[in-house]
Formats: sequence, C-alpha cells, structure tokens
Amino acid sequence: MGIDEQLEREGGVATRLDDVWVTIVWNDPVNLMSYVTQVFQTYFHLPREVAAQRMREVHENGRSVLSSGPREKMEVDVQAMHSYGLWATMQRSGE
Amino acid sequence: MRGFEARGGEAVATLDDEERLVIGRIVADVAGLLGAEPFGLEIEEHGTTASDIDDPFEYLRGLEESIKEPSDPAILRLLPNAAPTDREVSDEFRRLTDGELRATKIRRLRRIWEELSGTTDEWVVPADEALATAAALTDVRLVLASRLGLATDEDAERLHSEIDLATHALETDDEHTLPIDPERVWLGMLYQALTWLQETLVEYVAGTEETDV
Repeated sequence: MGIDEQLEREGGVATRLDDVWVTIVWNDPVNLMSYVTQVFQTYFHLPREVAAQRMREVHENGRSVLSSGPREKMEVDVQAMHSYGLWATMQRSGE
Repeated sequence: MRGFEARGGEAVATLDDEERLVIGRIVADVAGLLGAEPFGLEIEEHGTTASDIDDPFEYLRGLEESIKEPSDPAILRLLPNAAPTDREVSDEFRRLTDGELRATKIRRLRRIWEELSGTTDEWVVPADEALATAAALTDVRLVLASRLGLATDEDAERLHSEIDLATHALETDDEHTLPIDPERVWLGMLYQALTWLQETLVEYVAGTEETDV
C-alpha cells in the first residue's frame, strides 16, 4: 500500500462518524470462565455481574460483542484481548 | 503443589523443585516460540543483562511493510488474525501490534521464569502483577492445548477422561493393557496443573477486587 493511499484511507475513516466497528470475543476450550470474567471486568470496567453475563454469552453462544466504536479504538481493544490470550476479532458493525 | 493464596499484598503458591523446573521450562519454551532469546543463557553467553538485548528492533517492527501470519498454529492462537475475513484489516493489525504483543507476552513469561528459577519453594506474585501472570499462564495453556489438539470444549473434556483413565491404570499397574501415549498424558497433566494454578490465581485477583470495593 502506498503512503498516499494509506493516508487517504485513514483520513477517510477518521471523518466518517457512521463507520462503526465492533470487537468480538469468541469461545475457546482453554480460557477459564473466571478468568474471562475478570479480564472483561478489569479491561472494559464492567461491573462484575455484567462481565459474568458477557462471559456466559461467549461460552453459550460462541461469541459476544464487547465494544464498538471507530476502527482505531477497536484495534486497541482487540490488541488488549490478544495480550490476555482471549480470541478476539474486529469487523464493521452489521457485517 | 499448593495453589495461590493471599498473603499480605501478594499471592503465594508452593511448588517443589521438579514442579518449578517443569513449569520454568515450558514457560521458557513458549517465550522461545514467540521469538525470545533462550532464557537463562543470555548472561552466561553474552555477558550482558537480559534487558540489554531485549529485542532492540521492537519499535522498528511497526515500520516494516508487512508481518507474516505465524505458520505454527499454536503461535497463531497467541497472535490471531484480527479480522479473519478481511486480509487487509488483519495485515494492518499485525503490522501495528505484532512486536508489542510479542514483547508483552515474553516479558510476562520471563518474570515467571525468573521467579521459578530462584531457590525457594514459594512462587510469589505481587497483587499488581497477578492478572498479567494469569495472562502468561493462559498463553502457556494455549500452546499446550494446541499441541494436544484441544479445539472444542468436548476435546478438553475427553482429555480429562483420558488422563483419569491413565492415572487409574498407572495406580493399578495396568498401564500395559491400555493404549496410553505417555507424552500426551504428561502434557495433559501439565496442562491440568497449570489450569488449576491459574484458577487459584484468578480467585485471588477476584478476592482482592472485592475487598477494594
């Protein structure tokens, strides 16, 4: 990707308020329920009960949307989840 | 082995020599998979401290054109594609985050390795490092799970019953009549031990947060 093209794309994304992305955490057979709850609570500053409910969503439905916002912010959230060993992905909202 | 318990402002587990050796080894192995210099060899071989040679190119990585997806499935699980259906988003994410994520994970693993390389039976984790230590234990368990082929919750349950069966066979001197793969049982038992240690450490973290409120 050339620099001009990259600047144009990033500039374009930054000014489009309707370009909403989401961070999704997926179920895996390794991560402990208590650990996932703790990570959600600590990183997303969720109350314990809400964090536990999101964890159950991941465990029972296979996935849960943990955050939404601009692409750059979702990159930060996905990176944080990967640093905790959680399986997280990002995509445009509604895709 | 005794799991983590609160003591003062710290979490403390107790491991015997062999347990410390085995866990220290797997921790160093996972760091090696992530691209770390072999733990413990830096000082003897290079005469420098660990921090001197801690990846001087870390901050240059972001300038590289692109970083390849890891070919080892275990490492791909530690550093997954951020957008599996969008190559461009995944590549961009990897370019921006790969170096920092590897450095973070290696730093946490190194801290565990250093703690277990000491001479006491106690594994002491300060409160503010407890969740980072639990994260490193997750990374080790993810690599073991990948080697053990644990892809679903059912696979994990099957492993537990296999190990129960193997343990029973060993206790009753029946190991020759059962089709037991010793390496699989050994890795599986290590996986279970780390799972249990992590569970006790996470319990400790949850406990400290309750008293904070």
